[in-house]
Amino acid sequence: MSDIRLFGIRHHGPGSARSLKAALDAFAPDCLLIEGPPDADALIPLAAHEAMAPPVALLVYRPDRPRTCAFFPFAAFSPEWVAMRHGIAAGATLRFIDLPHAIQLADGFGVSDAAPDTAPIDAEPVAEATETPSEPAPASAAIRRDPLGELAAVAGYPDGERWWDALVESRAGADGDVFAAIGEAMAALREGAEPDPDEAFREEAREAHMRAAIRRAAKEGFARIAVICGAWHVPALMRHDAKGQATADTATLKNLPKAKAAAAWAPWSYERLAFASGYRAGVLSPEWYDTLWHHEGRVAARWLARAAALLRENDLDASPASVIEAARLAEALAGFRGRSRPSLDDLDEAAQATLCFADPAPMGLIRRKLVIGERLGATPPDSPGTPVEADFEAQCKRLRLKPGAAAGEITLDLRRETDLARSHFLNRLKLIGIPWGERREARGRGTFKESWYLTWQPEWVVELVAASAEGGTIAEAAAGRVRSRAREATRVAELSGLIGTLLDADLAGATAAVIRALNDRAAVSADVFDLMDALPPLAELARYGSVRSSDTEPVLAVVRGLVPRAAAGLVAACQSLDDDAAGAAKARIVAVSGAVALIEEPELKAVWGEALRALADQEHVHGRVVGRAVRLLFDDRAIDAAEAGERLRLALSRASGAVPAAAWIEGFLEDSGTVLIHGRELLAVVDEWLCGLDEALFIELLPLVRRTFATLAPAERRAIGETLARPGGASLDAAAGSQGFDPARAAKVLPILRLLLGPEPATTTGDAA
Amino acid sequence: MTSNHAVKTAQLRQAAEDAFAEEIAALRESDDRPRPPNWQMSPQAVVTYLLGGRLPSGFEVTPKYIGDRRLMEVAVATLATDRALLLLGVPGTAKSWVSEHLAAAICGTSRLIVQGTAGTSEEAIRYGWNYALLLAKGPSREAVVASPIMRAMNEGRIARVEELTRIPSETQDSFITVLSEKTLPIPELNEEVAAQKGFNLIATANNRDRGVNELSSALKRRFNTVVLPPPATIEAEIAIVETRVASLGRAFEIPAEPPGAEQIRRVVTIFRELREGVTADGKSKVKQPSGTLSTAEAISVVGSGLALAAHFGDGRLSAHDLVSGIAGAVVKDPVQDAIVWREYLETVVKERDGWKDFYKAARASA
Repeated sequence: MSDIRLFGIRHHGPGSARSLKAALDAFAPDCLLIEGPPDADALIPLAAHEAMAPPVALLVYRPDRPRTCAFFPFAAFSPEWVAMRHGIAAGATLRFIDLPHAIQLADGFGVSDAAPDTAPIDAEPVAEATETPSEPAPASAAIRRDPLGELAAVAGYPDGERWWDALVESRAGADGDVFAAIGEAMAALREGAEPDPDEAFREEAREAHMRAAIRRAAKEGFARIAVICGAWHVPALMRHDAKGQATADTATLKNLPKAKAAAAWAPWSYERLAFASGYRAGVLSPEWYDTLWHHEGRVAARWLARAAALLRENDLDASPASVIEAARLAEALAGFRGRSRPSLDDLDEAAQATLCFADPAPMGLIRRKLVIGERLGATPPDSPGTPVEADFEAQCKRLRLKPGAAAGEITLDLRRETDLARSHFLNRLKLIGIPWGERREARGRGTFKESWYLTWQPEWVVELVAASAEGGTIAEAAAGRVRSRAREATRVAELSGLIGTLLDADLAGATAAVIRALNDRAAVSADVFDLMDALPPLAELARYGSVRSSDTEPVLAVVRGLVPRAAAGLVAACQSLDDDAAGAAKARIVAVSGAVALIEEPELKAVWGEALRALADQEHVHGRVVGRAVRLLFDDRAIDAAEAGERLRLALSRASGAVPAAAWIEGFLEDSGTVLIHGRELLAVVDEWLCGLDEALFIELLPLVRRTFATLAPAERRAIGETLARPGGASLDAAAGSQGFDPARAAKVLPILRLLLGPEPATTTGDAA
Repeated sequence: MTSNHAVKTAQLRQAAEDAFAEEIAALRESDDRPRPPNWQMSPQAVVTYLLGGRLPSGFEVTPKYIGDRRLMEVAVATLATDRALLLLGVPGTAKSWVSEHLAAAICGTSRLIVQGTAGTSEEAIRYGWNYALLLAKGPSREAVVASPIMRAMNEGRIARVEELTRIPSETQDSFITVLSEKTLPIPELNEEVAAQKGFNLIATANNRDRGVNELSSALKRRFNTVVLPPPATIEAEIAIVETRVASLGRAFEIPAEPPGAEQIRRVVTIFRELREGVTADGKSKVKQPSGTLSTAEAISVVGSGLALAAHFGDGRLSAHDLVSGIAGAVVKDPVQDAIVWREYLETVVKERDGWKDFYKAARASA
């Protein structure tokens, strides 16, 4: 007769793991049955591989549809991991006994609305604290969903995590009795809980399968069988040898649908393990648990010392005296709250009050590095393929792209579905660090054509494995990568570039995250120029969309948010610019004006126009910027020729100084001189100013004015020159009428203007050199 | 105004230990937990005193502080470990109120207080001299005029320092010896005053005020810092503003209708959004201005809006009456804050349903 013991554990609980380790050492089982996917039984020995470094995850997926997959993450402190290592070291038989995912992932398993294409199925229901249901659920359903939460509430703790942490995880030493007590508590809880209709069948089938596996192991004649399962299941598995249970279980497990499932080890990260990243059976504080697991005793002092070291690394003040004070306060708080040792909460509050002087920024650092942690796992290089690799191969096959093939160029016609999919695929690979294809300028510049140069590097396989930590497919991994890049991006312009990338890679799912990040960054950014840099590419996207026919409405919403922000800060941003900065600012203003014109929304146009007008009214802003603002307003008919002339005259008046005036002209005229051709009164003002300069000043300003005119198109220069050369020349007809016109005097200016404007090719050749 | 207020014989405001003497007595009576030396009740009882609760005897303790229990626990645990406590927060977060009640509950008096100002001298912190005695008899213990700090050290009680960061840095440094050595030397007499058990210090300071004297890191290290946050929910903040404005209205006899809840909600919403840097729906961020935008300021904005409405308007608080006050509270730095305010108007206020009148009024006055 086999000795069968059930160990109800909490997934990812270091205290639970420690108790389990001691219990297994004492029990020395020759067979360990672990709640896990039997589809991955063959992979268990790899857990002891020297290159295997937790956190890692077992991924079980359908090879035909890698999106349909389940993750089983393990950290060094996960009881299941401890059990696996223990079993391998002791040479015991190890088996996963959960209901195979070949069944759980099959179409038509369990409740019909569990569509196979929804988010990855989470196979660990015990520690699940799922999102609140849309309508208030009956109390029993709440117990079912979060059994520990209910126990914790009874004990007066805010949530299940903290309760377990205080009562079990933080206990020093290992206590085998814990398992019996947990079994009893769960039995009591399960008695009160009504089955959750949505999950009832899955749970029943899983427990039936586990019971069957226990019976099978007993029949095979193992002497000591250890069953390691989530605490919630203990009472159900206790019944494995109850009368009639075998028959009932067989009935439950009959005629279940089945699909093909594959399994793989994949590197994982603490960040993904943490609750914060949305993994439902995760833990709030992996790094803290890691510390608890690796350092028995004096954890508080160690953790606080690490916090101080971390602060010092980041050039923040943290004296050893403060560490001592923090430890004292943490002890006092723990005593105050009736605990024998400080919990993470106590330490956190103590660190905040003493080490960080209640400043939230260093606390954020501590939480990121010492509570959640940034540890990354690794898997042996020769372990079987991950879903991402499978997805990669499937996609390559579907899109008829061959990784090993010789380098070469392909041209894609984005109007064809396969080519469009290829383009998306290559763009996604680029995002996960595999620049297989390199975009080339397509000949003909048709927007529906793309040219790619393909070269494959064998070492990119590693990138594929690494990518599986971020999703089950290439698309998911790419989206995950984009999300983390969006989190890290510091400039708004960077984010706006990312949005373009997303549309190229058809990752609409991640767009919302990036747009959110962009809006947030834009809202707090004090760098108006950064906002302005972000605008033009977005406007183009919003206006023309993409050949890839992605939905551009969200982009438009971003633009609607950015324009008023840029407008509000424009005048302040343009203060005290030197010549180079003014040039850059001018270019940005022109680009944003173009973007606003492209969007064609009257409200945005009004807001931006108002900002330009305010800028045009500035007295102490660099002339090049103001001149361009006036010009843009004039081009947009926001001001008429008379007002433009007035502003020009004011800017060129002696009081403003000649150098700023020249800068003003530069801003006003550069790149396009049509205003001077069609607005003769403006030409007259410029001409009058130029002629009014005294010799020294004229020589000083000549290069600048020359440079300005050099930016005009030759045809424009010629036209301006011709206007000036005509009798009457620059002087306005009206002016000529009132003051009379002296051709002889006018002619005196002509050589100089000719020199400046180079009206005839014959004369300009010499100057241009 | 013709009404002639009768001069009240009663004290305008009672100290915490007098106003809540009954509660303190009841707490002491039912308190059976260990007390730190010279404390008149246990730390747990102090927390109960601050946050309110029902005693085993059925006595109801009123809450003095409405907010996070954990903060109060950290504060009390700090004082129990003989570390000094620094309460930080923007104006209107009940720093002084908490400090007063902590002192009253722990040692029975909240009156050992040094009010920090730019003119606070070392004498106010250490000791002064009775010059008549000093001249007549020379330096002696009788001629020493003890500061509240020195008295607290002698008696083993809690001393309070208000507005610590307003005290000039040189003077602040006098606290270092007191806090680290727990003694106060009197070199003239070649003596020192050693702190008795139970002595501790609670300081308050404003953490977002400009132009204050930043604490030296030596002094900072001797304090445990607890930040008292602004009211946690908008409803709580609205309630505070409403009650305070109502009492202000009575005090100044403003002949206006009591402000509509809608207008108060608006002011509080704007203040909270700008203070926290995120819109009330949590959907988008907004830039934060340099000012503190405390609840106290919101109260004064509504108050002055009310006065405007009463004396220059139709007696009903309108968006127009509030706009200038709000803009004044937000725009403290004429350049940067003006951008923040403008941006906020354009990106948040403009889009909001039912806020058209406010947007128009704000644009008109901008």
